[in-house]
Amino acid sequence: MKKNWKVRPEDKDYQAFLLETNKKLGAFLSFSFNEAMTGDGEFQGIPLAVKDNIAVKNQPLTCASKLLENLVSPYDATVVSRLKDKGAVVIGKTNLDEFGMGSSNQDSALAETFNPWDPLVVPGGSSGGSAAAVAAGMVPLAIGTDTGGSVRQPAMFTGVFGFKPTYGVVSRYGLTAYASSLEVPGFIARSVEWIKLALELTAGADPHDQTTTSDVLAEVRPIKKIGYLKVDDGLSPVMAAAYREHIEAWKDLGYVLMPVDIPALEYAVPAYYTIATAEASANLARFTGIRYGVRPDYAQNPQELVKKARTAGFGREVKRRILLGTYVLRSGFQDQYYHRAQKIRTIIRGDFNRVFEKVDILLMPVYPTQAFPRGESGLSHLQQKLADKFTVGANLTGIPAISIPAGVRDGLPLGFQLLAPALHDRDLIQMAQLWESKTSIPAPPNYPPRWED
Amino acid sequence: MESFIGLEIHIHLATETKLFCGCRARFGDEPNTNVCPVCLGYPGTLPVANQQALFLGYVVARALNCELSPRTVFERKNYFYPDLPKNYQISQYEHPIGRNGFIMVPLPGGEVRKVRIHDAHLEEDAGKMIHAGDMSLIDYNRAGYPLMEIVTEPDLKTGEEAEAFLIHFQRVIRYLKVSDGNMEEGSMRCDANVSVNFPGKGLGTKVEIKNLNSSRFVKKALNFEIQRQIGVLKQGGTIRQETRLWNENRDLTEVMRTKEMANDYRYFPEPDMPPFEPDPVFLEKVEKAQTELPDRKKARFVNDYRISEESAEFLIASRYVADYFEEVVQIGIEPALVASWLSGDVQKLLNRHGLTLDTSPMSARRLGQLLRLLNEERIHGKIAKKLAELVFEEDRDPEIIMREKGLEQIVDFDVLRGFIKNVADEYPAVIHSIKNGDERQRGFLIGKIMEKSQGRAHPQKLQKLFDDFLSEVTA
Ligand SMILES: [Zn+2]
Repeated sequence: MKKNWKVRPEDKDYQAFLLETNKKLGAFLSFSFNEAMTGDGEFQGIPLAVKDNIAVKNQPLTCASKLLENLVSPYDATVVSRLKDKGAVVIGKTNLDEFGMGSSNQDSALAETFNPWDPLVVPGGSSGGSAAAVAAGMVPLAIGTDTGGSVRQPAMFTGVFGFKPTYGVVSRYGLTAYASSLEVPGFIARSVEWIKLALELTAGADPHDQTTTSDVLAEVRPIKKIGYLKVDDGLSPVMAAAYREHIEAWKDLGYVLMPVDIPALEYAVPAYYTIATAEASANLARFTGIRYGVRPDYAQNPQELVKKARTAGFGREVKRRILLGTYVLRSGFQDQYYHRAQKIRTIIRGDFNRVFEKVDILLMPVYPTQAFPRGESGLSHLQQKLADKFTVGANLTGIPAISIPAGVRDGLPLGFQLLAPALHDRDLIQMAQLWESKTSIPAPPNYPPRWED
Repeated sequence: MESFIGLEIHIHLATETKLFCGCRARFGDEPNTNVCPVCLGYPGTLPVANQQALFLGYVVARALNCELSPRTVFERKNYFYPDLPKNYQISQYEHPIGRNGFIMVPLPGGEVRKVRIHDAHLEEDAGKMIHAGDMSLIDYNRAGYPLMEIVTEPDLKTGEEAEAFLIHFQRVIRYLKVSDGNMEEGSMRCDANVSVNFPGKGLGTKVEIKNLNSSRFVKKALNFEIQRQIGVLKQGGTIRQETRLWNENRDLTEVMRTKEMANDYRYFPEPDMPPFEPDPVFLEKVEKAQTELPDRKKARFVNDYRISEESAEFLIASRYVADYFEEVVQIGIEPALVASWLSGDVQKLLNRHGLTLDTSPMSARRLGQLLRLLNEERIHGKIAKKLAELVFEEDRDPEIIMREKGLEQIVDFDVLRGFIKNVADEYPAVIHSIKNGDERQRGFLIGKIMEKSQGRAHPQKLQKLFDDFLSEVTA
């Protein structure tokens, strides 16, 4: 791979550009300009943005929560150390919805992130900071986490590529757990080549993560048939029209396009939120301010200390999800909620398997709308959750998915996602690269591309 | 009244490292030195199951005759406690390593009871909270230590039976070398549940007793609790389902929490670790790690070696002593002799030096050598005792010490005759009176001759030669 690198992390002009841009966008929560390069290889001197719920040694690990505002990570996530080993330098940590719980970055307790395309709309989430940083050309590649679409949706909202690998292919060690059985690290870039490289360098079993698979990624298959999800309603008019055009575009590229149904997708959102919040209620129990994090000055006893720390430290949406998760796991109610959700998950998996018996690749919307307005005129928390319908399927089934930019309408990016059977991640990379070569990937008006030829 | 006791026993497994991270599993170090991001519950860390702990877990479950799970699953047990870093404990629930087992326990009075095992599962230990003045401090060295919990059915009736169970159980796990089972140091802990009912009415309302930190407390606490419940029932009262704590200072149980205060642990399968499915090679290793357990060994010792029940009981109390005993017997020494030396002279010396057999200079080989010297009449009994002392003091082989110090018995007739002659010359009057039939003086002279030989004269041979001497003198 040949790239004409224009800037390097130690470059003062580059640092000034980052600081200047971040004033406008709030993509980063922290920078680490003194970070030394520790590896050697394909990523020699390449600045990397890392979502602030992923551990980078000696850098903050706030998860955009007040409770962890003062936490510095004592270790590197595997996905980070594998890229560092190849020469990458983590230039800073990016904003997110607190603990990854949200799809707008408005649920960050620490900062606001703006969409480089339009400061009045959200950058998406929860990896909104990572997506905004890439879209604005601050970094060539960012690492995010995708629990229910948290990489793909902000990538779409900001007009870049967002890739979610097969569950178990890239280690979760170092990802602050929100929903362990659903989430994976993901990559965001304007050029698919970066994602391809990152995937190849980070994939593979990790002794620190027993859920990583020893199976290797499948070789690229010849792709002929693309199934597209039939969507009768639920998309905004702009998105519905763009979806039809996008299907035609693939036909024009010579693929056979077939409509497919995934009936169980109707139940995906409730099943997803049941499982995600159940796991979250346990995963977030460790945050008490006792061993690390923000601790109240005084408490009568340890129990009161924990209560005070969590009351003051967690935001509303986080508390809501912990409560919901605690509720669905109560003894005597697990059959009604948690076990039922797991059954739905199995059914959805079956539906996807049946689809992949007929087609090689699946095409779907990422989100029902383009990036929505900030604040009151945007989507409520409930509307945001319902809108996760198209993204959570890949998380419930563990299969890979990539969101690809598909033009601009009304000044905002459009995008759709391709999905493949488990371990066929390379098919998606190849398809995205083909798409990239046949179309132009637009950049936000004030942020010209910086990292590509 | 009938009483029913079930026990929940926790043992620390003797692994090198903790259950889910690479930290050393070791007691008594400086607080918070055997810790890492994983066992401190840092965000993003993940547990990795310790294969040695899983192995030891299966070894225990197999020894307790459990059905072994072909697919064992870790689950999260959710509750907030400051010394529990993640505020959930990784434990097992639906698919423990073993279930439906049993163990044969010799009870006081001679009965051997079959005590059923409900299940045996693995889990992580918590840290330790210490209250110091107006501060609470937590040491996480113990957090993540591998624990095995063994839950029995309510097949025991009295505090004495529970105590006997624990002593037997402790021997079993020590035999298996899976845990040191030390209750004082907390590497074996016990909770109990007790219920009492009118005869024939089945189990009563279950009360859980915690904080039973020695087998003696177990006996006292359970007997107290049984009497308390009988008292309540006899006065027409009802037993409340609750958890009580043994107060060792006041010798009674006190309410800790009632049923209403009980936690809902919200168990669910641990998403960070796949289920463990033992393969045939693993199970074969588990089978190979099984060993003859104390009760069997005792029966075999009595039967094969013709030693008394009492001697056998002494020998099998520790697997080390039992193995040591058999090693000496292998050398070709009479089993009864070995057993009596082990429980007698060797034990006395161990006590005197504050040692245990495995740390003492008297190895099985050395004891074998010593007893062979005795058997071959190269030393006599008194010298053997002296030699044993010297082995403890000098940490050298008995035969070498014997040679160096010239302790070997004197059997040479000419040398012995020389001693007799010398003494006879010194005490002609005494010889005269013996010749005249005063047998009382005989012992005195033999003693003097022995003294001349520095205690080394072969006693029987000396007697014989002395008799010969007397008859010669008379003639
Ligand atoms: Zn550790």
